[in-house]
Amino acid sequence: MKTLDISKLDVLALVRFDACTRCGECTVTCPTGGEAQDVELVTPRGKIIRLREFYKGQYGLRARLLGPKHPSDADLTELAKRAYECTICGQCKAVCPAHLDTIEMWENMREFLVSNGLGPMPEHQQIVKSVENYDNPWMQPRTQRSRWVRKLDKDIRVKDALKERSDVLYFVGCTAAYDPNIRNMALDTATVLSKAGIDFGTLGNEEGCCGSTMLRTGLREQVRKMAEGNIARFERAAPSMILTSCAGCYKTLRQDYPRFGKLPAKVVHITTLVDELLRSGRLVPTKRVEGTVTFHDPCHLGRHNGLYDEPRRILESIPGLKVVEMERNREDARCCGAGGGVKTAFPDLAGKISTLRVEDAERTGAGILTTSCPFCYQSLKATIDAKGSKLRMTDLMELLRTSL
Amino acid sequence: MPESRYLSERAWLYVPFFLAVLLVSAIILVLPYDTVYVRDRTYLYAFLVIVVICVAIFLLGTLYNILFWMRGKGLVTSPERRLLGLVWKAMRLMLSRMFAKALAVFLRDAIYLAKLKGRSTSRWFMHIMILGGFLLMFAFDLLVTLSMDILEYGPMIDEGGWAKLWVRDFGFELAGVMMLIGLIIAAVRRFVLRPKMVRTELPDAASILFLLAVVLGGFILEGMGVAGGIPGHTQDIEYSFLGYAISLVLPVSSGDWYDAAWLVHGVMSALLIAYIPFSRLFHMVATPIAIELEEMISKEVRG
Repeated sequence: MKTLDISKLDVLALVRFDACTRCGECTVTCPTGGEAQDVELVTPRGKIIRLREFYKGQYGLRARLLGPKHPSDADLTELAKRAYECTICGQCKAVCPAHLDTIEMWENMREFLVSNGLGPMPEHQQIVKSVENYDNPWMQPRTQRSRWVRKLDKDIRVKDALKERSDVLYFVGCTAAYDPNIRNMALDTATVLSKAGIDFGTLGNEEGCCGSTMLRTGLREQVRKMAEGNIARFERAAPSMILTSCAGCYKTLRQDYPRFGKLPAKVVHITTLVDELLRSGRLVPTKRVEGTVTFHDPCHLGRHNGLYDEPRRILESIPGLKVVEMERNREDARCCGAGGGVKTAFPDLAGKISTLRVEDAERTGAGILTTSCPFCYQSLKATIDAKGSKLRMTDLMELLRTSL
Repeated sequence: MPESRYLSERAWLYVPFFLAVLLVSAIILVLPYDTVYVRDRTYLYAFLVIVVICVAIFLLGTLYNILFWMRGKGLVTSPERRLLGLVWKAMRLMLSRMFAKALAVFLRDAIYLAKLKGRSTSRWFMHIMILGGFLLMFAFDLLVTLSMDILEYGPMIDEGGWAKLWVRDFGFELAGVMMLIGLIIAAVRRFVLRPKMVRTELPDAASILFLLAVVLGGFILEGMGVAGGIPGHTQDIEYSFLGYAISLVLPVSSGDWYDAAWLVHGVMSALLIAYIPFSRLFHMVATPIAIELEEMISKEVRG
């Protein structure tokens, strides 16, 4: 038996829990609760009903009149586990007729679970330790963060933004910086920027983890120091634009950091910048890239930030490339299964969700599946390999760089 | 917290609130109700006492729920003080240029249910029938109370007056039929079709069946009035088209039970109002508030 502390639940979350009409629209489209497992408690409605029942049992009118009713430890543990099975993809937000911002609700619910000793999941602890000790979730030394630059062509210059003023500060992100399979994302981004004549630099080894993984698992307070550190470095670099190629970093810097401190420049995703460069004629793809491609909308880019047209315009600008849409695209796109710490804590579940998405892509008849998020890339690539699919996984910047 | 501050924070909220409850109660009690057709006024007085109690329970329950929201993250003073701050901000919003946006959001998303329409036309139709009927009836109630009991507007009072026929007879009938259609669709969907997304628990089933009983009861009451020749139900009765149709199958003697049926219908409606804050029906209050907050508060100041 445990007394829940509701002081970590947002006012808005409490309003939203009462505002849920329990219509069930979210239960049908939820990738984890509805599609991959068919477990009501994982669905938004299931979580809302259960959590509301627990806190109302302790603090509601009936509790005041007849005494509180405490949920059992087993019930609380089950709720926590189910809450962490959510990828926070935001599909429920897209379909909710009551306009509930469920993305904020789930992140806040996890914060509440953490404050009550019910989260994160044990599997997340290694990421927490890695971020605390190495400043990245991949247990890689800080000194290796900028190593990817060595792989760039000699004529491409990446400034150290803390020593030399750069117009654009490229925030590389941990995954592109450290994961050898994703490193091309950083290399291609830098190449594209260079070809467009953009004056850019990075924070080098000084760049800190943005904290996205920790924020999504409810560790908001633990991220504060990391965020303040990064913001201080942004101020020192004083760029006119902070650029990210990672959808997770983009969401974190753009939506979460303003709650920790004021950013000195606008945060822009690479797809937005490149789209502008293409439209202004500063970038002109000329080389043909033969094939049929379909674009997977990363949740952090699409539903969380509303960037749908930019990546598609980039693809359409590439000569020779035929773009086809998956049946579920844009706001309705399926999640890749990797978000919200699901891939770390529940890899099998992540695999099931990812398989559904790869099958979506296969049904289009495309030979190339592309995206603009390192986590989606990792997740979909792993499923393509495991499944023996004929699809070729690429990053959007790789396709563009090939055609420049 | 010093005791004086503790008391003053609460006093600023509770004194105006209870004054408002008293004012609403007084208005309910002092209206003349000259055109309520119960023959025995005891039924009317019994209804008024019950409705005052039920409205007070609704308001208190709603306040309790809203104060519960105020206990969320970042509370440094008291929920009452936080709520007062929010009320103050809402009042400032109503006097600012943002009010037009807030009103547009309310009309489009909370009343017209534009997003639901985009997802499913059939469910939107069901919901808009219930909500639209309820709102229409509420608007007609206000109009009738104002024109009859306060302005004593003849055409609204006279048996054959145009306003009586089109508003009190046809208007209320139309609103009731809208609610009835919506509720029948909801009941069929929930109890017969049972799509996977629908989850029915006892309170959900009870709410729908109770609402259906209240709405159907209103038409049966109307039919009893017409069949029994109760004043107000004797001229141009076809304007109350469904009540008139029901009257055709009711005996004249059903008019003898009109007063009792009127009280049952009234008490059921009042009980439903009192039940709202303690049930899922509270989404009628919470959802429009949530929609306004989603649209009017910028992301940066939420956390």
